[in-house]
Amino acid sequence: MTPTSPQEPAPLEARGVAWAAGERFVLLDLDVTLRPGELLLLSGHNGAGKTSLLDVLRGERPVDRGAVLLQGVPLPEVAVHELPRHVASLHHRPGLYFDLTGRENLTLMAALCGHTLSVAEVEAALTRVGLEPAAWDRRVRHYSRGMKQRTGLARVLVSGARVWLLDEPSTGLDPAGRATLAQVLRDARDEGRAVMVVTHDPELIALADRHLVLRGGQVHEGAL
Amino acid sequence: MTTLRLTWLLLQKDLRIAARSREVLGFTLLFSVLCVLIFAFGFLQSGSAAVRYVPGVLWVTLLFASSMSLLRLFAAEEEGGTLPLVSATTAGTVPLFLSKAGVQLVFTTLVTALVLPMVLLFFDARLDAPGPVIASLLLGLVGQSVVGTLCAALLVHVRLREVLLPLVLYPTVAPLVIAGVKVTSMALQGQSGQGTTDWLTLMLVFDLVFVAASPWLHGRAMQR
Repeated sequence: MTPTSPQEPAPLEARGVAWAAGERFVLLDLDVTLRPGELLLLSGHNGAGKTSLLDVLRGERPVDRGAVLLQGVPLPEVAVHELPRHVASLHHRPGLYFDLTGRENLTLMAALCGHTLSVAEVEAALTRVGLEPAAWDRRVRHYSRGMKQRTGLARVLVSGARVWLLDEPSTGLDPAGRATLAQVLRDARDEGRAVMVVTHDPELIALADRHLVLRGGQVHEGAL
Repeated sequence: MTTLRLTWLLLQKDLRIAARSREVLGFTLLFSVLCVLIFAFGFLQSGSAAVRYVPGVLWVTLLFASSMSLLRLFAAEEEGGTLPLVSATTAGTVPLFLSKAGVQLVFTTLVTALVLPMVLLFFDARLDAPGPVIASLLLGLVGQSVVGTLCAALLVHVRLREVLLPLVLYPTVAPLVIAGVKVTSMALQGQSGQGTTDWLTLMLVFDLVFVAASPWLHGRAMQR
């Protein structure tokens, strides 16, 4: 694990963040810091605001109070096209085009993040997430839920982002898929990425370096 | 990666998806055929009386057909959750707008290639000097595609967008439709000269204004 030095800004940080859905504050004066080389587990009961927090952190929802800082710079000051280079996310929908193949999706998504991938690099990413070669050139529409999830994870891999925000990444995965996901997360941590995972999967919970519980709109340190 | 390269990449992707799914183009073509048939039976006339309906039928059919394909313009992004990813490319939001306007232009051009001969056939009309009509169609299609893409993007997160899109689009493109009807009407009556040039100039100015302003407005809309 690589802790952030006091001089070095955190890859991603929320300071005093408040966000309301209508009249109700879902997030209230909340502080979170993602550190490089750390796997941070976020939990909380249904409706606690876990997905909303991830949306706020990836700039999808503007905050009502406080600030989200990307390497010390408030998100509104970060050019919109810079975000995908730094923050990659996987949420309820896999972030894929269903009428493109797995291979075409990865090539396109990497290009949108400013990377030109070789055929070998695309195949390496698909292999790393355990997608069968027979499926690489099939349309994502014909994939199972788990295969879509694996391809979505491969999309996160090829983005090259230093911060990963993953919302229930093991949804739809079989035991082999969950083991692959766990290995990908271990590797990400070893590569110095800051990873925040929302999950109820015991296998992923066991990997976490830190556990935060979202309750009453605020985060509390939880037991591992 | 440059704006042009990313635009080409996204346009290729949209055309590939359209070619694979075929549903949008197929239904739009079918809808425009039905429109022409309904108008043909509705305005059942013969001889010179029928020719008077040609400009209106042609331009209204094209407008209806274009709004039909516009409703599905961002469907692939919504289905797979890719809109935040393609909205924030390394070249900003301009490539997404240009590619969507480009694919809409391809769709409406194909519809026009089917509708124009059908209307002339059903209403027993002849275009002896097709130049001004083709020029007005080119300007009209560009304008409708650009404005339509902008409207579709502005409404992409709106719940009642199917209802709202025509309400926003039709009044905005009304100058184009009026000018197109006038040019077509004059061409069918064998008139040309300053009147035609004035209406074509109006269409050109309309296109230039919206081509210049729309990518910027679209960028603002994508940032929610």
